[in-house]
Amino acid sequence: MTLRFCILVFVVLLLAFLRLCVGPQADSDGNIVLGLALPTAQTLQFRALSIAGAGAVGLLLALSGLALQALLRNPLASPFTLGVSSGASFGVACVLALAATTGLSTRAFGGEFTGALVGAALALGLVWILAKRASGRDAVALALAGVVLGGVMSSGAMLLEQIVPRGLRGDLLAWMAGRIPELPEFSTLLALWSIAIVGMLLVWRMAHVLDLLMLDDDEASAAGVRLVRTRVALFLIGGVLAAAAVSFAGPIGFVGLVAPHAARLFISHRHALLVPATALCGVIVLLGADLFRQALDLGTGRLPVGIITALVGGPFFLWMLSRSRRGGSEWNL
Amino acid sequence: MRFSTRTECAAALTGVDAAFAKGRTTAIVGANASGKSTMLRLAAGVLVPSEGVVDSTRVERASKRAFVPQRASLAADFSVRETIALGTALKTASAARVDAALEAVGLAARCAVRFHSLSGGEQQRVRVGRALAQIECAQGSVLLLDEPFSSLDPAEVARLVIALRGFTSEGGSVILSLHDAGLAREVASDAIALRGGRAIAMGSADEVLSPTMLREVYAHEMLEANSDARWLRPHL
Repeated sequence: MTLRFCILVFVVLLLAFLRLCVGPQADSDGNIVLGLALPTAQTLQFRALSIAGAGAVGLLLALSGLALQALLRNPLASPFTLGVSSGASFGVACVLALAATTGLSTRAFGGEFTGALVGAALALGLVWILAKRASGRDAVALALAGVVLGGVMSSGAMLLEQIVPRGLRGDLLAWMAGRIPELPEFSTLLALWSIAIVGMLLVWRMAHVLDLLMLDDDEASAAGVRLVRTRVALFLIGGVLAAAAVSFAGPIGFVGLVAPHAARLFISHRHALLVPATALCGVIVLLGADLFRQALDLGTGRLPVGIITALVGGPFFLWMLSRSRRGGSEWNL
Repeated sequence: MRFSTRTECAAALTGVDAAFAKGRTTAIVGANASGKSTMLRLAAGVLVPSEGVVDSTRVERASKRAFVPQRASLAADFSVRETIALGTALKTASAARVDAALEAVGLAARCAVRFHSLSGGEQQRVRVGRALAQIECAQGSVLLLDEPFSSLDPAEVARLVIALRGFTSEGGSVILSLHDAGLAREVASDAIALRGGRAIAMGSADEVLSPTMLREVYAHEMLEANSDARWLRPHL
């Protein structure tokens, strides 16, 4: 087990190193090509900031996915598939539209993070009601309801985008596809990593309770789990982590779905091990996707990383859907 | 124990006044929807009565009372050992208790097998093993099982009965719901018969599960044929 954790840490470090070294270079004819070289002092700073941003977003989305899967006992749950990311985007779009129409700063409306938090809570609340009505048993029905809810929320955000001035609209569109900022502010990264680490420690502290939550509700309750308190905590943690990620990088899809399952497959289903493993897998997925994106768009930052994660995560989600339809054990990949 | 509870429009259980003795196995019998599961859920503390009280002051801690619901699912692919260890999850993990529970349910040799690859009977034994591991000491503790033998073959039933007898011999009490009256007479010392959410008989298993009383419980003649479980004896 220790060896497997070492492998995950090694992969994180390798991807971070590659992301530092891979970038656009001018060849002898003056053409821009992809190069692999140790970074200069000039490139080191902004590449390191971008890596820190991608790592934090990967960790936040992965842990949010793990919390939502435990909350709903649903292997198809993730911030993106349940519409929570789209809800957070809708919240951010509301704040931007309000700021644009009133001419005030976004801070007057609580800032993007508050908008994302309210939007995520709204979407998660709706999903929760749907899950209760379905008795939480039909994983596929809930995931499909989440996808539809996400579509509605995204359309709402697109509609609001029309209110936003043209200059800002381009940025908003790219942000809606999920993009790691190339030059994030240090204070933003600090806040993001603080939320990520506190969130991870909180979920890790609940590891034994999360294990028991995998039992039937009655069984878990009789074993001493305070179901309501635990679920409220997971609801808040899942929502805040997703909102933080979305307010920074937009609704990057499928990281919260793929990372927890990869961690289960590679490490364990026990949450004491699963929580740190999911965090590492989330960082790996997003750093890997960002590296691939960097290689494709030659560091211009035009290609949203959300497109890469969707290309990988989308088929994975469909594969899991088909497994559920065939009646297989969705938790056993 | 005295309670009644209401679902949306009808009382699921009314006017039941029962006490459970140490070291005894009590079977709750009755037709479908007679209130067996409701009674067990109340006794397990996962359901709150709308009227009356469940006096479980001596077994209210999770380490003194464990519950295995009917058709429980597991939303993770734990190994047999990991699943049984869930019983000790909220306490300091006790390897000895997990080992004892594995032995009691006869799955020590299969402790590394994944839960979802086990047969239905083995999965049921794992669930009972998890509940046994949850209980710190059998003396004065209660194990509540909802239809533990449903869909098990005779050999699996016998293995589970042996595990439960081990628990009661150490001073623990077992309360289980059954719809098979013959099996109830074979495994239980006491019985409570429910009909339409009311207790119509309680006492020793032989008295409560007599053919006359069974006709009253199930309101059907055919159950006399089902009042014998001698098939189980060669397996015990």
